[in-house]
Amino acid sequence: MPPIIEVQDLSKEFRTFRRREGVWGALQNLFVREYLTVHAVDRINFAIEPGEMVGYIGANGAGKSTTIKMLTGILVPTRGRVVCNGFVPYRDRRHYTKHIGVVFGQRTQLWWDIAVIESFKLLKEIYEIPDADYRRRLDFFSEILSVKDYLHTPVRKLSLGERMRCDLAASLLHNPPLLFLDEPTIGLDVVAKDRIREFLKEINRQEKTTVLLTTHDLSDIEELSRRIIIIDKGRILFDGDLVEMKKRLAKYNQVKFFLKDRSQVAKLDTFARNGISCDRVDELTYLMRFDREQHSTAEVIRDIVNQLQVRDIFVEEEPIEDIVKRIYLSGEVGLQKGEA
Amino acid sequence: MSSSAPTALPYPAPRPVGRSSLGRNLRIYAEFVRVGFVNTLAYRLRYYTGIVTYFIYVTVYYFIWKAIYEHSTNIAGFDFSHILTYVALGWIIRSFYYNNIDQDMAYQVMEGKLAMDLIKPVNIQLMYIAQALGESMFRAVMLSLPTAIVLLLVYPVRGPASARHLAAFLVSVILSFFLVAAINFTVGTFAIRLKSILGLLRAKYFLLELFSGLLLPISFFPAIFQKIFNFMPFQYISYIPVLLYLGKINGRAIAASLALQLFWVLAMFALGAAMWKWSSRKITIQGG
Repeated sequence: MPPIIEVQDLSKEFRTFRRREGVWGALQNLFVREYLTVHAVDRINFAIEPGEMVGYIGANGAGKSTTIKMLTGILVPTRGRVVCNGFVPYRDRRHYTKHIGVVFGQRTQLWWDIAVIESFKLLKEIYEIPDADYRRRLDFFSEILSVKDYLHTPVRKLSLGERMRCDLAASLLHNPPLLFLDEPTIGLDVVAKDRIREFLKEINRQEKTTVLLTTHDLSDIEELSRRIIIIDKGRILFDGDLVEMKKRLAKYNQVKFFLKDRSQVAKLDTFARNGISCDRVDELTYLMRFDREQHSTAEVIRDIVNQLQVRDIFVEEEPIEDIVKRIYLSGEVGLQKGEA
Repeated sequence: MSSSAPTALPYPAPRPVGRSSLGRNLRIYAEFVRVGFVNTLAYRLRYYTGIVTYFIYVTVYYFIWKAIYEHSTNIAGFDFSHILTYVALGWIIRSFYYNNIDQDMAYQVMEGKLAMDLIKPVNIQLMYIAQALGESMFRAVMLSLPTAIVLLLVYPVRGPASARHLAAFLVSVILSFFLVAAINFTVGTFAIRLKSILGLLRAKYFLLELFSGLLLPISFFPAIFQKIFNFMPFQYISYIPVLLYLGKINGRAIAASLALQLFWVLAMFALGAAMWKWSSRKITIQGG
């Protein structure tokens, strides 16, 4: 099967002008403008297969949203090729958007002042959803997303989590094969986040919906996708399997242990040696980080158990945040999995 | 996506891509009209104060014109009862055709919400105008009708010149709505390239009130202006519909006026569509 999303040398440039400061600067701005070209997205390449669930991550301003907006037909690329679901999004926006679902976590596509169900009815018409399908999907969402209780509430009266669930339901009423999510869990509490993740997994499993989601919450990615694409300053730094990335790029392991009592704290100094650091988490909890290549986990644990009286001990992988942070810092390009 | 995979919900076969039929399109945009209507319900309180506001406008003009007519009985073919009716009808129909499409678009651009419009598989111009139509239908019932009743009770407003003139007037008012909506959409598209157009909108607001004939009948302007206005759509917003009501346009000129008004509606729709096409390639959306 051909990829459902195909992106080749895609670039988006914005032209802005440098604003000078102060009164004199403002006057100068009126007459002489110094233009700057911002490469929001800079010659990126990737392909996504039907049914995949891909996490698209990057810091603020890395180019995530700009990419999503080009893929959804909102922005016209400066250069490059993009084909989604057989369409060139910006060229055929009206037909293309009929077969995709889009959620922007910071905005709502629902009408602010009217009951949620009224917006749904409108979507039913514009996506030409048959009555039976509409009713069945509404029931399905009512159950799995529990939106039933506030279908008759105006959007402005909903909490962020409730609104988000309604927006998700709205984006999937027409059962699109392709779903774009831009920061779907932003600002949500743990319970709400979890609910949305479970729902996305379910939709992806049941309907084989292809999902591309951006986030800067990496726990979203760990929960949801096997594949991640990391973008920074408009360039793709990494594209590949999440597990593979951890295996290749995790540098440290960490051991967390709980001391039996305070008298043990003094003995910790003996551990400070090459490639090992020990940080205090709270009074009796400490986290020891060590280079995987220089020290074996077994050896570190043995030393801890031999020299300290500990109550509990846990071995952890390096958190994905730390790995990604390192990728940003080193700007490691050339990790892309086989370029198309 | 294989069709053999067992799924809890049936996967609808993608519909063949092609031009939507007129009937389907009408249903879609009728739905936007409905939502525009329902959405306005949330602001119904605003309309009670609107009735008072419109009454005050007409009252102010009543006294101004009364002072002016102390010294003459006929100005440019209008006697006092004509001018009073002209003012009252002008404001009554304004309460119907008025909309904020341009301002809404300006805010969508400034707040980065245009994206939420663009992800919908619809024609953006028709979407905005359909929603505004829903709102205007609401205004017709909640604002124009009560305002008309109050004004008729308080001031000696003339009746329509004839049943035929009344019919022509009603058709013309509906065309006024589409004309204003098409102009406002066209102005709204400027927001995409200029980012902030609130100043421009304020200027447009006053020019439209003046050029449409709402503040002053077009026949009161110097002859050269009247000639220029003949090549512009604005007098078809207010001046022409009210002249039809007053019976100052007669015979074959009635049909000709309506035909010209329709021409301007279509021309403004075409201009708006072209402006949208030209601007939408330049959309930049900040934030989010």
